[in-house]
Amino acid sequence: MTPIEQLIFLLKAVPVTLSISLLSFLLGLGLGIIFSFIRIYGTVFLKYIADGYEKVFRSVPVLAVMFLLYFGLGGYLPIFKDPYFTSVISLGLVSGANQSQIFRSAIGSVGRSQMLAATSLGLTQFKSLRYVILPQALILAVPGLGSEIALLIKDSSYSFIIGVIELMKHTDILRAATRSLVFPYIASALIYVALTFPLATYLDKWGSMKKRELGL
Amino acid sequence: MNVLECRDLTKIYGKVVAVKNVSLGIGKGQTKVIFGPSGSGKSTLLRCLGLLEKPTSGTIYFNGIDVYTTKQDLNKLRAKIGFVFQEPSLFRHLTALGNVVLGLKHVLGYSEDEARRKAMEALKLVKMEDWANYYPAQLSGGQQQRVGIARAIAMDPEIILFDEPTAALDVELKWEVISVMKDLADRGTTMLVATHELRFAKEVADEMIFMDQGEIIEIGTPEQFFRSPMTERARKFMAKLLG
Ligand SMILES: Nc1ncnc2c1ncn2[C@@H]1O[C@H](COP(=O)(O)OP(=O)(O)OP(=O)(O)O)[C@@H](O)[C@H]1O
Ligand SMILES: [Mg+2]
Repeated sequence: MTPIEQLIFLLKAVPVTLSISLLSFLLGLGLGIIFSFIRIYGTVFLKYIADGYEKVFRSVPVLAVMFLLYFGLGGYLPIFKDPYFTSVISLGLVSGANQSQIFRSAIGSVGRSQMLAATSLGLTQFKSLRYVILPQALILAVPGLGSEIALLIKDSSYSFIIGVIELMKHTDILRAATRSLVFPYIASALIYVALTFPLATYLDKWGSMKKRELGL
Repeated sequence: MNVLECRDLTKIYGKVVAVKNVSLGIGKGQTKVIFGPSGSGKSTLLRCLGLLEKPTSGTIYFNGIDVYTTKQDLNKLRAKIGFVFQEPSLFRHLTALGNVVLGLKHVLGYSEDEARRKAMEALKLVKMEDWANYYPAQLSGGQQQRVGIARAIAMDPEIILFDEPTAALDVELKWEVISVMKDLADRGTTMLVATHELRFAKEVADEMIFMDQGEIIEIGTPEQFFRSPMTERARKFMAKLLG
């Protein structure tokens, strides 16, 4: 295999790595938004649940969650025997806890006076959150979400261990096939850099620009 | 019958009695001015009257109906009570137009087109129609306050509460906001205004209410306050304001 052929072989795994990252990011985004709003605006009981979720999934390693779902829950619910599905769910659950934290601080900087102004118009609490607080919190959260996507792209490599054929797996296949330790790992490291760095940097810049533009 | 009225309204924060046994009412078409030193409870009183905060005790009547004991839908009533804040309170992710449209669409149920038309009318009234597509951060403090007023009047409220709308503005910018408020008063808008702009009070107020330490100290016409306040505290404060 020429280096070009090896590189192409690695790149073929990129769509799987990216789709796991993107799907788990979206799952985490949904969970993060819901749990952050519950933690700030929810009833006492719901706050406990949201708080517990955040604490647990921020402390347990992704790999432990993956093993727990794949080997543990997989015995009872066959769907968790699917490594791709289980990877997305595990990464999403952990990311949801991170994103909840990101949104909590974003909502905090939106400020109380915005909620008061929305209330004074007669908007219900839900509509105030939906039309006034959430849009601003999303903009404020963009830089943090950028780092979170980068983290997920990297952490998606854990799914290799339970059998997903993604970039890390291809790297491993290449190592075995070429008996070269250096090239596959350096090449795949560079691919990870190319996937994460520009995106995270761009989102960080965009977020700061928007923030300045709107005076958030 | 008064549009908005409170009786024996008290609001306590922890150990601070912010408003103490205040009773007042604003009739249709009236303009009343509240003034008093910093910390005298003006904002707290207005927030209670705007149903943004629940009084510790006392009663609030909207068109004669006891708001809290008859368990009214507070959001419905809030839509009928306009509120203009002291600090910048425009929604920062929305343009001037978007700020005015939001309540029309999502509270009053206007269609997008109707809401935009009505919002433009309101922006015209405050002379901000040329700035409809600007974001709050692109507007001066005075312009932001005028959009805030447009946002309130677009809802066709029965009364508008103003909480020192010019206090955070430079002298040159105060006037444009005051003049918009004068127009509103002249058009017969029912309003309760916390302000230290004595010229505004003199020209449009039916009644001035002087507060200190959470209590109403004196109520009277602007003439009475300008000529000779009855209480020593009001006299001292007027003297200070008139410099
Ligand atoms: N949310 C709150 N929590 C605790 N104390 C409060 C709160 N809001 C107001 N207070 C206290 O209540 C008192 C009255 O405050 P308020 O803001 O109503 O006065 P004000 O007349 O509007 O003053 P200013 O002219 O400075 O705006 C003050 O002592 C203030 O510290
Ligand atoms: Mg105040």
